Amino acid sequence: MSGGYRQQPNSARKDGKRVAGKQVFPPPGAGGSDPVMKERDLNFIPESVGGKEPQPAGSHIHDRIRTGTIVGKPLPLVDSNAKVTGQAWYGDDVRLANESIGKILRSPHHYAKIISIDTSKVEALPGVIAVATGADSPNSFGVLPVTKDEHAMAVEKVRHMGDLVACVSAIDEATAIEALGLFEIEWEILEPVFDPKKGLEDTDEPIHWRGKYHLAKTNVQKRVFQEFGDRSLVENPFSSSHGKWTMAGVHHGFTEPHAVVAHWDPNGRLQLYTPQQVPHYTHRALSTVLDVPMHQINVIRTFVGGGFGGKSDPFPHEMCAAILARKSGRPVRITFDREEVYWINRGRHPSNIEVKMSADKEGRISGFDIDALIDGGGFASFGHVTSYYNGVLATAPYELGSFHYTGARVWTNKPASGAMRGHGAVNTRCAVEVGLDEMAEQMNVDPIDLRLANLLPPHSRTITGFRITSNGMREALERVREGSDWDNKFRKLPLGKGIGIGCGFFISGSGLPIHWDPNRFPHATVHIQVDMDGGVTVHTGAADIGQGSTTAVAQVVSEVLALPIEMIHVRSHESDTSPVDLGSYSSRVTFMNANAAIRAALDIREKLLDAAWDILGYHPNTLIINDRRIYYKHDPAIGVSYLQALHKAQEDKGALISSGSYRSPPMGGVHKGAAAGLAPAYSFSAYVAEVDVDIELGLIKCTNVWAAHDCGKALNPLAVKGQIIGSCHMGLGQVLSEKMVYGRTGHLQNANLLEYKIPSIHEMPHVEPIIVESSDPEGPFGAKEAGEGPLLPILPAVVNAVYDAIGIRYNDLPLTPDIVFKGVEKKRKKLNLEEATDLPSPRFTHGPKSIELQKALVKRSEEHKKRDLARQKTEDTSPYVNGVLFGFDPNIPLEDQVEGWRMATEPDPEQLAELGLAGKAWLKKEQRHMGGEE
Amino acid sequence: MLMPPFILHHPSSVEEACSIASELIERGEDFDWVSGGTDLLANYKWRINTKPNVISLSKIPGIDTVSDLEIGCMARLSNLEGSNVHPMIAEAAGKVASSLIRKSATLGGNLCLDTRCFWYNQSEDWRRSIEWCHKADCGTGADCRVIPNQNTLCVATYQGDIAPVLMVLGASVHLIGPNGERVIPLSEFYQLDGMKKNVLENGEFLLKVSLPEDSLSRVGSYQKLRVRDSWDFPEAGVAASWIEGDRSSIKVATTALESIPRIHTEEVSQIIEQGWDDEKSVKSLAGVIRKSVKPVNNTALPPNYRRSVVRVLIKRAFSQMK
Amino acid sequence: MVGTEYVSMTPKAAKEIWSAKVNGESVEELITSNAILLDVLRDQVGTLGVKRGCDLGTCGCCTVIIDGDARLSCLCLAGQVSDSEITTVEGLSEGAHLAPIQTCFAEHGGSQCGFCTPGFLLSAQALLEENDSPTDEEISCAIEGNLCRCTGYQQIVDSIKAAAEIHRGESEPVPPASNPHPNPHPDGPEEPSMPPGHAR
Repeated sequence: MSGGYRQQPNSARKDGKRVAGKQVFPPPGAGGSDPVMKERDLNFIPESVGGKEPQPAGSHIHDRIRTGTIVGKPLPLVDSNAKVTGQAWYGDDVRLANESIGKILRSPHHYAKIISIDTSKVEALPGVIAVATGADSPNSFGVLPVTKDEHAMAVEKVRHMGDLVACVSAIDEATAIEALGLFEIEWEILEPVFDPKKGLEDTDEPIHWRGKYHLAKTNVQKRVFQEFGDRSLVENPFSSSHGKWTMAGVHHGFTEPHAVVAHWDPNGRLQLYTPQQVPHYTHRALSTVLDVPMHQINVIRTFVGGGFGGKSDPFPHEMCAAILARKSGRPVRITFDREEVYWINRGRHPSNIEVKMSADKEGRISGFDIDALIDGGGFASFGHVTSYYNGVLATAPYELGSFHYTGARVWTNKPASGAMRGHGAVNTRCAVEVGLDEMAEQMNVDPIDLRLANLLPPHSRTITGFRITSNGMREALERVREGSDWDNKFRKLPLGKGIGIGCGFFISGSGLPIHWDPNRFPHATVHIQVDMDGGVTVHTGAADIGQGSTTAVAQVVSEVLALPIEMIHVRSHESDTSPVDLGSYSSRVTFMNANAAIRAALDIREKLLDAAWDILGYHPNTLIINDRRIYYKHDPAIGVSYLQALHKAQEDKGALISSGSYRSPPMGGVHKGAAAGLAPAYSFSAYVAEVDVDIELGLIKCTNVWAAHDCGKALNPLAVKGQIIGSCHMGLGQVLSEKMVYGRTGHLQNANLLEYKIPSIHEMPHVEPIIVESSDPEGPFGAKEAGEGPLLPILPAVVNAVYDAIGIRYNDLPLTPDIVFKGVEKKRKKLNLEEATDLPSPRFTHGPKSIELQKALVKRSEEHKKRDLARQKTEDTSPYVNGVLFGFDPNIPLEDQVEGWRMATEPDPEQLAELGLAGKAWLKKEQRHMGGEE
Repeated sequence: MLMPPFILHHPSSVEEACSIASELIERGEDFDWVSGGTDLLANYKWRINTKPNVISLSKIPGIDTVSDLEIGCMARLSNLEGSNVHPMIAEAAGKVASSLIRKSATLGGNLCLDTRCFWYNQSEDWRRSIEWCHKADCGTGADCRVIPNQNTLCVATYQGDIAPVLMVLGASVHLIGPNGERVIPLSEFYQLDGMKKNVLENGEFLLKVSLPEDSLSRVGSYQKLRVRDSWDFPEAGVAASWIEGDRSSIKVATTALESIPRIHTEEVSQIIEQGWDDEKSVKSLAGVIRKSVKPVNNTALPPNYRRSVVRVLIKRAFSQMK
Repeated sequence: MVGTEYVSMTPKAAKEIWSAKVNGESVEELITSNAILLDVLRDQVGTLGVKRGCDLGTCGCCTVIIDGDARLSCLCLAGQVSDSEITTVEGLSEGAHLAPIQTCFAEHGGSQCGFCTPGFLLSAQALLEENDSPTDEEISCAIEGNLCRCTGYQQIVDSIKAAAEIHRGESEPVPPASNPHPNPHPDGPEEPSMPPGHAR
């Protein structure tokens, strides 16, 4: 090679000095901070393509494009330096010139009509810049297109204490606060509803009115009925469990309070800065509320100080800031106090859940009956989906004889519930896993063996028709069993010490992009641009909320192009430059955006290889793309640098640009609600938790957790482990101490971080994260989600461990010391014992029958293990549907094989009388069937 | 959260502090004292009972000294941990809130802690929507929300950790104000009213705590019940001390169960009179004290539970007794 | 009818000159008498790395080091700490070089969403300056006032332990991958040199 590539050949001076305006272009191949090309790291190149990375789950479609650069290696988040230097800019850190401060007037009433609002005194206050009320925001919005029931500010009535009534912007915070006291409002107080059970009843003034679709005059927002399988299997069960659970609402507890900055720029475009998980929904909602086309709005996602689902709705305060900024022509900044964060809520639904389970004498699960009444608070939010998730996500990973679910979400006069990490799946999962333990206890078999003998295999269908692809459930269970020394501890520990198991199952990206037809638009799109300097700019709408989505996207591009991660620049903050994207929810980013990024990177890769072909004369099939260099497979010395290839590829075209997208394959059933819970892949997890129970005080301390999670393939093990441990923390909070407390007046009593008790470091157990890699055939390099699923198992694992420790089953969450104490006292008195410390520890009481059953389960799970391995490696590609375990033929539709095989989404009239609590919603008729509003 | 307006005064000596106080009294202006600020400022941010003047004690030299028999009011709690004070004081100080708070919080502030109640420790908007409460009634004469229709007494709970320990060590407090200095036993410092809280007169502040010689020979422990081992105030607390070999020296005090921390002299002597029989007597003492405390529903955990566990806490407080 | 009395926020309190040393530099600000240190740092001094999480002392996001002690700036009157030396996250790095605690948080996953990170960094830094061989319990105690909702604390503790090793001189600081200011090699090779064994 001669003197390198120059912008203008022969223009450089011989003395090495630069000529003004004609500067030497950076040397070819330069990039990253290492001048030496890294050798291919064979330890991170899969076996199937000649590397050394073991592939117990078989080869993967992406093996061919692995370069050993970065996938599978622990990597600090690419934006971590911004975070550790304090330069990461969150919502309240956006300070624009000439800004004004916005404040929101909130309802002091739980439920009231607004008769009139007089703002004249507010407007007269010196320093007030703009005032807005519901009259300025007549258009409704909502996160789901089917339930647009929110306004920027109350239009007709307020629906919970803290609901938005009006807003004001002023020269400073003091003036804005002062102004809030000057609104004169005439109210008509309405009778509030706090108890979700009451929400099922007819009332004079339902919290929302849905016209002809309204259910009688109740406060039911959504009801669900699903029944699948052979209900005759449930009759005369060999073993059964029945749990009635009360679970308190919990909040995401992210550390950054909501904040928003809105600015109408001189061109009349809205620039809105907000810490959003789903900027696109905000974008859409702003357009609707403000009556401005979407292209005249630029939503700028700031750094997000934790989301967990709590920053995924379009929020009314975002609209308020935009309205105030439009009125005043000045930037408006609104930052929430912590209390306001709780008032906007969107946390996990307070739930009443009833689970009945049964098993037959072979230890097969013949029936899952779930009834979930969930308290939605004042608005719909994601509740439509939550209503389904509470049932359908509880079925797998098990093979069931039948499944029956009734769910209802009701409006109450409380802050709205919504989506929170593990959306909809967490509470019923806990109830179901504890129910399984109870059955194992009755049958005197090991609960892990009971689970292992009832798992669905890889490449199968669940009872409600979800398509399972990779499935690492069995490995997860086996590894926590071994890691925790389960067999030597379970039912063998002294009083007060216990060990418990729990499993989890979660979607890896919702299969349905709710705002458009997936057949017409992809779920995710990623653009890549490579210009002369060799740096790679990646545009994606994936919202990094700390989970590391930016890092994941950068990683896959880096892997495919074999470039150092420093050369990949992800731009994801602005809607102006990001392709439309659903953002960070339903654990979709790694699966969908990384897949889209791979496709975009492949395009670039192809162009580079073609250019190298041109230069070298070797066909791309014989070229190896490696760290900043492309070379001939059989003689690495023959090659071109990355920059040379790039510049060749750019001839006559300029920058290389590519676009890649992802859409999920068509799948799932056709019944009503079939799309809820449908995902291109599912994650699986199994945890074992160890607890110490202070039996006299009722204090539970979780000491150790072995947490196995099947994330398909850990693109970044450091981040996956971080997600697992973090999930444990959040789940432990819900099971031990966190709850939103509503007092006798319906007020939220603990809207602060002192009384809303998120675990401190002292409450954290040692967590042993165990990564299971089942290599998903459709995942990017085999990866699935790791952000939400890991939360699920910790709750039941702890509840089951508490039973192992003190022999008491609790059905109230959280297990605060007073609840535990009450249970202990009850049992102590029942057994007529002097001291709580005299309580008996639960032990196995094996009889000949149970020993036989235990052996049968172990034998069955061993057989299934072989079956699973063959299916995972696609050595066995026969169809497998839920029901095979019960002797059905997977090749014939089940309804043709057994009379009475149900697949119903509405109850039969004769069932109405026996429905559970939430099922009562089916006793009501919709208005259109009552002759009401047509 | 914006701080409501007030003037912060920084006296540089105790005398100056007292004279600022008497000036303000003369002018008829209300004021609060602030030391570490971790209690007062949180309440001010919620705009609870704010005053137009605040006198800071932080710039007065020499009132933060720590020795085995005397501790200044400005001694930070973090300085009490691991210092040469009585181990029980260090233990209790180390259990207060979080390490970050203990770096600011002071002994004086902890002893004069405002009483707490979930109807009271709320934002202004929140309290406004329940039409205020008796303790912060904003001039409306509002009723107590914990026990309605009694309107004479505030039942907010005192949730300090160190007072019960100092009580069972026999500590006295030195109060100083425009009218001079006085010394009273800590056990007489508190007043059973969540609003008045203690005997400090307008203009007076707690200058220092002194301990009797015999406190050095006392042993015992402090049992704190809380949900999390950081941040949380005690939901119930029991301190017990004694001189080894001398059962008549036993002292027990409780906290977080009523509007004041309380030393249970009568209950203890009642049991001692019956003749002390270690395990059995501890049990009966626990029973008597459990009966004598009357927690109400205004903290994180329900009152019947907090009351029940007093028994366990007392048992544990005595578990080290030889 | 709801209560109508409320505390008036205006007129604002009288103003006074406040001076302190923030991150080694003397600053003077005209502050209101009642100003809270957190507000002064964010809104006037401009150190936006100090975060407002709960504003009531229960999250630790606003932690700063005042005269060697990690303290909560949200529960601290600016007037009470005038003339002190205050370190915020912006003052941790030395010029372009990150402090060991910063690189370790990045390398070991101590920071996810990053909002609590400045607070943790300062609590940890104050600990390490006092004690470069902290036990697990001492680390827990030092960060018990900081709330993290993302990490479950475990990787934060790992980060602090790694930083302690660097403080003790047992391991090398600043792995290049996370160094935001690497020395650009001025005249790099024409193409990335081949690793040994491959060059012709």
